[in-house]
Amino acid sequence: MYEAFAVAIVVFLTVGGQELLGFTMLGRPIVIGPLIGLLLGDVKTGLMIGASLETIFMGIVNIGGASAAEPGLASALAVAFAIMMHGGLGVALPLAIPLGIIGLQIKTLIYVAVVGPFASKFDSMAEKGNEKGIVRLHFGLWTLQWFIYALIPFFAMLFGSEATQSVLKMIPTIIVHGLTVAGNVLPAVGMAMLMKILWDKNISSFYFLGFLIVAYLKMPLIAVAVMGTIIAILVAQRDYQLHNFEQKIAAKPAAVTTNTTETKDEQENDDFFS
Amino acid sequence: MSKFSKDISKDEKKLIRQMFWRSFTLYSAVTPAKQGASGFEYSMLPFINKFYKKEQDKKDAMVRQMSYFNTNLAMAPFVMGVTASMEKQNSESDDFNAESINAIKTSLMGPLAGIGDSIFWGVLRVIAAGIAISLAKNGNIAAPIIFLLLFNIPVQLVRWYGGQLGYTLGSNYIGELYEKGLINILTKAASIVGLMMVGAMTSNMVKFDLKWNMVIGGKTILKSQEMLNQIFIGLLPLAITLLCFWLLKKKNVSINWLILGTIVVSIVLALMGIV
Repeated sequence: MYEAFAVAIVVFLTVGGQELLGFTMLGRPIVIGPLIGLLLGDVKTGLMIGASLETIFMGIVNIGGASAAEPGLASALAVAFAIMMHGGLGVALPLAIPLGIIGLQIKTLIYVAVVGPFASKFDSMAEKGNEKGIVRLHFGLWTLQWFIYALIPFFAMLFGSEATQSVLKMIPTIIVHGLTVAGNVLPAVGMAMLMKILWDKNISSFYFLGFLIVAYLKMPLIAVAVMGTIIAILVAQRDYQLHNFEQKIAAKPAAVTTNTTETKDEQENDDFFS
Repeated sequence: MSKFSKDISKDEKKLIRQMFWRSFTLYSAVTPAKQGASGFEYSMLPFINKFYKKEQDKKDAMVRQMSYFNTNLAMAPFVMGVTASMEKQNSESDDFNAESINAIKTSLMGPLAGIGDSIFWGVLRVIAAGIAISLAKNGNIAAPIIFLLLFNIPVQLVRWYGGQLGYTLGSNYIGELYEKGLINILTKAASIVGLMMVGAMTSNMVKFDLKWNMVIGGKTILKSQEMLNQIFIGLLPLAITLLCFWLLKKKNVSINWLILGTIVVSIVLALMGIV
């Protein structure tokens, strides 16, 4: 019972809380993992699994309401089950992926069916100038939708842990090994999703530079970030100069046609460039 | 930044602060039809109450600000600042075209969403998470706190100053950036840092080692992983990542299939004793 409450409250305050507090990233696996660990008495495991799930869910962000999974609910339940069953990533991973997909579907359902119909209510209240009503509904809807959402981990924890445990016991070790391998490979999917956002032929070589300096020089990530920033500043400076130069060239022919009262100096310049 | 905020009155500064705090809740009651409309309205209410004296004008402004709104959260206060400054102009002059307020608001949110999503979600969050993950794997309990600070300090600064900047410079500023073509330079520079980090993290986090060795007559004659390492360290993780990227981008394979496929292939390879 305590575990069910703890996990439900964490989901409410982090996954729901980040919607109230401007996507401050409270609902990411790296935050939820250790938090669940703290409440269930195993911070280390929570931290480790949270970090592993973060790499897998790294590419998944909620942009404009479109997403592939909801990592918050998935991490909270997967970490809780893993701690209660004294399992590692091998227990957490096969739970986290389907839970993430189911979580997103439920979240979308609430978003469309529960909150959606109130859009017109907001409009009519604005027409009447009902300021207090708007504010009340604005916060009321938040509370309602995330209360409903937090019920899922509550009941999942209440009924699910024993059922899940008995199913997990039947999984042979070679499959668990395969799942651990999958856990190490799955960050590739996350990386691929980020590359889809950032990739551009002109700058793609920087991806391989980043890979190379870690693979061979074993540079820590923070050093790569600083190095990347330096390169980016250099490139931006050069782009800016090029851009100014291009504008100067583009501006000249226009001056000939529009400006009829040029000074002698300008005319000479135009002659020189033409 | 201070040189921009000199000509804002003390009262207006207070309103901008209220807007900053209220704008956190932008997507609290997000709906499919109007996204963050109610949050935008909530952030605008202090201005509307201050600027409009007549009841009908106030209602008109409230209806106007309850329109569809969707942008990156870090960029939202800037748009709100621009919108608020236009509401002020509207309240002071009779011939101001009130429709232009929503036109500017709508034209700002699209490009700013793109810039904000790639800089803050694509680059900053990835850097913050990457650093926090490596700390967490070493057992550092402070990892989640460091993650939240690394992400939120820059974002909140942009939100805080963005609101003031938007309010002071009105609608000219973003137009100027666009005309000068500086947006593209900024986006490119941010993408370079992002891509380098993704490359570094591919090497750091994607792990795939072969266990299978060529054995003839009880003697191991070829250790496959050692051989691969001599060619190029991390060759297989890099190839797998590029394959995933190719499947996602060129073949439009959905993420769920990609995740499922990775799990199935890993189990099959484990059963065959290759990994």
